[in-house]
Amino acid sequence: MMKKRAQRGSNYGFRRLKQNRSAFFGLVILVILVLCAIFADVIAPNSPNPTPPKLELALKPGFWSEEGVDGMPLGTDALGRCVLSRIIYGTRVSLSAGLVAVFIAMVLGIAFGTLAGFFGGGVDSTIMRFVDIMFAFPALLLAIVIVAVIGQGLDKAMVAIGIVYTPQMARIIRSSVLYIKEMEYIEVQNAIGSRRIRVIFRHVIPNSIAPVIVYGTLMLATAILDCAALGFLGLGAQPPTPEWGAMLAKSYSYIVSGAWWAATFPGLAILFSVLGLNLLGDGLRDILDPRLKQ
Amino acid sequence: MRRMKLMLVVAVVLTLLMPGSMLFAKRHNVMVFGSSGDAVRLDPADVTDGESIQRMDNIFEGLVEYQRYTTEVKPALATSWEMSKDGKEIVFKLRRGVKFHDGTPFNADAVVFSFARQYDPNHPYNQYGEWAYWGYMFYDVDRMEKIDNYTVKLVLKRPNASIMTSLAMFTVNIVSPANAKKWGEDAFRNPVGTGPFKFVEWVKDDHITLVANEDYWRERPKLDQLIFKVIPDPSARLLALEVGEVQGIEYPNPADFKRIKANKNLVLRSEPGMNVGYMAMNSGYGYKDKNKNGKRDADEPLEKTPGYHEALTKVKVRKAIQHAIDKKAIVDHIYMGTASVAKNGMPPFMLGYNDAIEDFKYDPELSKRLLREAGYPNGFEVTLYVMPVSRPYMFDPPKIGEAIQGYLGAVGIKVNFYQVDWGTYLQETEAGKHQMCLLGWSGDNGDPDNFLNVLYGPNAANIGASGNYSFYSDREAQKHLDEALLTYDVNERAKHYKIVQEMLHEDAGWVYLAHSNQSLVFNKNVRGYVLHPTTRKFFREVWID
Repeated sequence: MMKKRAQRGSNYGFRRLKQNRSAFFGLVILVILVLCAIFADVIAPNSPNPTPPKLELALKPGFWSEEGVDGMPLGTDALGRCVLSRIIYGTRVSLSAGLVAVFIAMVLGIAFGTLAGFFGGGVDSTIMRFVDIMFAFPALLLAIVIVAVIGQGLDKAMVAIGIVYTPQMARIIRSSVLYIKEMEYIEVQNAIGSRRIRVIFRHVIPNSIAPVIVYGTLMLATAILDCAALGFLGLGAQPPTPEWGAMLAKSYSYIVSGAWWAATFPGLAILFSVLGLNLLGDGLRDILDPRLKQ
Repeated sequence: MRRMKLMLVVAVVLTLLMPGSMLFAKRHNVMVFGSSGDAVRLDPADVTDGESIQRMDNIFEGLVEYQRYTTEVKPALATSWEMSKDGKEIVFKLRRGVKFHDGTPFNADAVVFSFARQYDPNHPYNQYGEWAYWGYMFYDVDRMEKIDNYTVKLVLKRPNASIMTSLAMFTVNIVSPANAKKWGEDAFRNPVGTGPFKFVEWVKDDHITLVANEDYWRERPKLDQLIFKVIPDPSARLLALEVGEVQGIEYPNPADFKRIKANKNLVLRSEPGMNVGYMAMNSGYGYKDKNKNGKRDADEPLEKTPGYHEALTKVKVRKAIQHAIDKKAIVDHIYMGTASVAKNGMPPFMLGYNDAIEDFKYDPELSKRLLREAGYPNGFEVTLYVMPVSRPYMFDPPKIGEAIQGYLGAVGIKVNFYQVDWGTYLQETEAGKHQMCLLGWSGDNGDPDNFLNVLYGPNAANIGASGNYSFYSDREAQKHLDEALLTYDVNERAKHYKIVQEMLHEDAGWVYLAHSNQSLVFNKNVRGYVLHPTTRKFFREVWID
């Protein structure tokens, strides 16, 4: 019974998604990103980190110029590496970093949000005041502070961003838990004497998860952006990992000297992936929010 | 329409006003120099960084100074000097009629003051500085004595062959005692010397303004005003030069050289610099200098450094690493040709440079064979400290680090990056926490001792205050270095230094990467600037056409 309804819902959702052009565009970008990430080894024309490096190919332009090198359509960076291949491999890095960060935020956010919403009272105000404090910090600044404490590296950056996004998640979960807690089926459970833990895991959490999906998608976009920002600041992915933000940071000084491609294309990759995920997230919100239904 | 007219008038007035400063500036001869960073202090005896020194060199002078193109010395505030037969006493005759910028006469008291405040812990002004360079360069000085008003005597604990060149360093520039008394601990913000320019103002992180010293004892400088403007970003510095905001800049980005050469209004000046950039491999054992005398004594045994790495203790492994790195490609494509490949730890134009040494060839196959022979057929993992800042001897350390990562990866050695802020970086490498690190050195006085002893001498393999980052510890080498310093015979000294370079080559503890050029870019109207091998910047004879 439940299953059937869910299926009808997703069909309906997909139809709505196709109608919403910008959201569909976002979905297409996401699919491309996922394909790039999974099949990077097949798609990329070159190794992202050839050993030994081919320094003699440093800063060669791409297909638009006669000075370009065969097989490196988007030119090379300052160490003679193929920019296109590094961007393709970078998809894997950015996407997985974003997903892990959002997953961490979801797990922590659901835990704290449910606790706060379900138990209320002192637990609620303690958790939510702490959440308020975290909201007082700009997200990136907080991430930098966390990285400074736990150390540099892509894995640490993911954790830092996950922690930074936790309050947002917690607040969203809390509000839907507050709503669901008052529903009749929960009252029934209470009346028949179900254990609280069972009520939380079987009924409260599954029913409050819908907004998490929407915000998770939107968060994925900003998580990718923040990961790139940390990479740009040298706090995220460590060399030679092909990470978009780090690629941008290492190449922007060459723009003045004419080698614009080494910084521009990783920048465009960030732009399009964040744009795509934002469009998709907005579209999903439109679809899943009953008040906006036609 | 009327509004258009009004706007036109406003625009005309604005254009007349805006470059107004420049119009007036034309009458004065003003030079604005774009520096990469601000000065730290303005006391010549208490600075160690190039940016501070750059300002000091135009305000202060010492007893002697360098020749225009070399590091040989000539008279400055001293007119002549004589060395005793045992090489332990030097008597200086001082120049008469010189005044400090504050009107204080220059005499023997000022000289003794400038020296004694650094070495005498009981001197009332000793508390106002760290005097770091005194410890590095003048440890052999016992005292400076006044003989009469215009004669002083420098007494050494033992002969020191590099003392005369060291005396041309900023550390022993002469400061006004009256000014030091007036400002006490704040004297470093109010510098008063005898030099060609007088200090006017210091706006932190923005600029320092100097004006010509009208009472200068030599010919008055041709510039009326000299301003050091801080522009940290190399691209922004170049743009400022292109639009005429500054007339000269330091450390241009090598990638911009093409663009600079194409600009007819700019002149790129590039000459070999007195420096070396290297990668040091921690060979595992250093000593702790318990009594802090800068030497390894009998009761100071070698012990494991915190960054000890089994593989790097083996000479064969170190040689394998030497053969794995294509230095020429790094110099050509990362230094972009603004450096020359280094095979020894000091630049080729210095006394005692051993040109007979044959550099390790780039040969990955040989490298792999050496690794197999050393017992590492599958390579190993190692951490490389990568400098977070660019220095004159290494413009882009992260890129060099990544290239090395790639080269060593090709022979099976996995290199992990380690990056921290510059202060911590220096602290940790001095403590020997690194397994491998990128670093380098810009020479101070042009003497080989300032490279070979400071960077590679076993006495500097001092855990906690190391200068010798490979912790090379052969006592035989230290003997040669000590003897080279005790004799004033140039050929004798050269012989010792050549032997030391051979020993260092055999030990293979450092991958000497490059000797960088020093590069400055000027507006084509700037005349009379001489690039000194020490990279110190003197504007006394510069003017704008």
